[in-house]
Amino acid sequence: MSLASTTSTKAQPSPLARLFARQEVALLVCLVLVLAFFSVTVDNFFSVRNLTNVLGQASLPLIAGIGCAIVFISGEVDISIGSLLATIALPLIIIMNDTNSLLLGIGGALLFGLIIGVVNGYLTAYAGINSLIVTLGTMFIMRGGVYLYTGQRAIPDDASLDSFIALSDGRLFNVLPYSAVIAIVLLAVFAYMMQHRPFGRQIYAVGGNQEVARLAGYDVRRVKFICFIISALLATVAGIILAARVGSAQHTAGLNFEFQVVAATVLGGVSLAGGIGSLTGMALGVLILQFLSNGLRGLGLPTEWQLVITGMIIIAAVALDEAKRRRANGG
Amino acid sequence: MSVDFLHPSEGAAIDGNVPALELRGIDKRFPGVVALENVDFTLEAGKIHALMGENGAGKSTLIKIMAGVYGKEAGTIRMRGREVDIKSPRDSLKEGIKVVFQEIALISEFTVAENIFLEGYPTGKMGSIDWKKIRADSAALFNRIGFNVDPAARTGSLPVSQQQMVEIARALAHEARVVVMDEPTSSLTPNEVSLLFTVIRRLAALGIAVVYVSHKLDEVFEIADTVTVLRDGRHISTKPIGEHTNDTLIQDMIGRRIDNLFPRQRGAAGSKIALSVEGLSTAKKLHDVSFEARAGEVLGFFGLMGAGRTELAKAIVGYDPITSGTIAVDGIRLAPHDTRTGVKLGIGLLTEDRKSEGLMGELPVYQNASLASLGAFARLGFVDKAREHRAVQDYVDRFRIKTPSLFQQVKNLSGGNQQKVLIARWLMRGLKVIVVDEPTRGIDVGAKSEIFALIDRLAGEGLAVIMMTSEMPELLGLADRIAVMCEGRLTVIMSREEATQEKILNAAIG
Repeated sequence: MSLASTTSTKAQPSPLARLFARQEVALLVCLVLVLAFFSVTVDNFFSVRNLTNVLGQASLPLIAGIGCAIVFISGEVDISIGSLLATIALPLIIIMNDTNSLLLGIGGALLFGLIIGVVNGYLTAYAGINSLIVTLGTMFIMRGGVYLYTGQRAIPDDASLDSFIALSDGRLFNVLPYSAVIAIVLLAVFAYMMQHRPFGRQIYAVGGNQEVARLAGYDVRRVKFICFIISALLATVAGIILAARVGSAQHTAGLNFEFQVVAATVLGGVSLAGGIGSLTGMALGVLILQFLSNGLRGLGLPTEWQLVITGMIIIAAVALDEAKRRRANGG
Repeated sequence: MSVDFLHPSEGAAIDGNVPALELRGIDKRFPGVVALENVDFTLEAGKIHALMGENGAGKSTLIKIMAGVYGKEAGTIRMRGREVDIKSPRDSLKEGIKVVFQEIALISEFTVAENIFLEGYPTGKMGSIDWKKIRADSAALFNRIGFNVDPAARTGSLPVSQQQMVEIARALAHEARVVVMDEPTSSLTPNEVSLLFTVIRRLAALGIAVVYVSHKLDEVFEIADTVTVLRDGRHISTKPIGEHTNDTLIQDMIGRRIDNLFPRQRGAAGSKIALSVEGLSTAKKLHDVSFEARAGEVLGFFGLMGAGRTELAKAIVGYDPITSGTIAVDGIRLAPHDTRTGVKLGIGLLTEDRKSEGLMGELPVYQNASLASLGAFARLGFVDKAREHRAVQDYVDRFRIKTPSLFQQVKNLSGGNQQKVLIARWLMRGLKVIVVDEPTRGIDVGAKSEIFALIDRLAGEGLAVIMMTSEMPELLGLADRIAVMCEGRLTVIMSREEATQEKILNAAIG
């Protein structure tokens, strides 16, 4: 009988309270606060030029962050994306220099990215090795390989194709950087997939509870495998844009990039435990960190301090989130 | 023809005498255990078939084979006469076998409605998920069953009873030929149970074969057409329910006699109260449990799955928080959630789950054994290895722990020897009360009697032994007194002399 008394439904929170309980809304409020604060304290912060510039810079972590968040949601991690940025720049630049074709270059880069995704995904999903270890390993292997191949010298983009350069400094309607446009389109496509396609929901289910997903008839290993491929291909897109920006294949490209992305993803409420979080949250996390760093620079704060502050914000955000979740689950 | 509960078509139902599902000669082994041996199980369309047996009889294993969770080692499965190969849950679902598992198998972050359609989302144009249909259909489903659950609620925020209703509804959301319910009523109220029974009868009327797993005799007599009893992984009987009485059913379930596994060496128990527990309740399971255990006695706790034995074990040694009641060792109160004082007072738990809560598999035997008493071997804050090794070697000899050396990784030992290492850990510390939870789980028969002898010896040395078990022979063979639990309550304590299997099982069924 005591069970019956506990089944009486708890008072449902009002729709408004539910809305504000949503992580994305809280993050959006944070973003607005950050924007408001720096608009007041930093000259020219709230100008079209500065805001669109930051969006352009944010496009790399946004694009790679989609993959990072999807892998997180599936219950795994992928920290090989930084090294991947440097790796895929090699076939991209070399093929373009040889063939003067942007499409062939991009094709080569995507093929490389695909192979890396297959390796990460196979070793994790089918061989059963912990994904942190797998991607840590491939991260070192790729970085080492790039150092060896380039002899630590940049390989310049000799082809200088207009279409390739446009990826770096072209702007849609002369306002929005193309890279930001690409990021927004990819975000929209994958956010739609995660919320409204069966495969997206399968990723959430697998990350939420692998055994339950298996009982519901899902091929858990295949879902995880595909997530790693998505992550690698998206990081490849980010790597192509980076190569266009620096006009070469650099052995140091994307150094520590994976941690920047992981930080933003976690700040955006995507749980490392899997099954929790959204791409919208991840995107807001990226934007908060990017505008914060841009604003702090505007205030004349040295980079060192930006790192310290970013670190503190991430820990505080996740701690808050954890406390909230614990309360929601009643202990 | 399969049947859709939500959109039933007239006269889908039953054709002739072809069984809906037929399992023949099913074998399943786990390391050291034969879980199923040559089991036959035949389901007729439109009939409700109860599957019964004690804990460990093989019911769950059989269900999991039907569900594709386990593969079978031998035997055939036929759906309506056609042999099928069920290798994964997906294969099983495709054949229209829907299982309501006893453990809640839902994604807690998803809404109720999404969980109901987890195994196949209805999609609209261009393959997008039709959320409207999901919400409408799940609401309609609950309406049809009569359960009161909010389809928009986050599943994890619901109480277990409502999650169980979601599980049940989920099995009915897609076309089904066979619906299996594994203890579906364990957290439902009587009113909800009667709703469920109405649904089950309606399923049967639609031509679905229903398997109903339960240890509640009254439920089985009320709902089932046929009863199959398993015991020790073997098929014992399949009869129409009309041919059974309470007694014949229990007889079929118990059946075996108790053999000579239990050589009793110890004398009679003392009179000194070593452990006294009064009015113990916990938030999740236990209600007002009171008992005393004397030095030198084995007090056996019996209960079926979910009766609260493990919860009690963890509460009395101070692992888990309690909401009311007192625990005292030798008259000294033990604060809840305080294993430090527990260890000091001399109460220890031999866990049911050796791998995750007991042993550190990668570490050598001697470190596992000395873990709780490193302080005793310390000199100036450093462990005196020589003394530590001598002490452990002493237990290895006395308990006849079979290990090539003290330095063997404990994971390489057999289950029985691992259990002995754990017992040594607690005895080295000097114990007054030891709580053993399912001491022979995962231990093969040969090693079992050694563990029994060891427990007998512990009591003989003056410890109070609290033994949680779901194994009737173990209980009757070892215990001085027998306490029976049912749904978190202590229903009866009896002496070994007055206890019979029937009495115990009756008290456990409640």
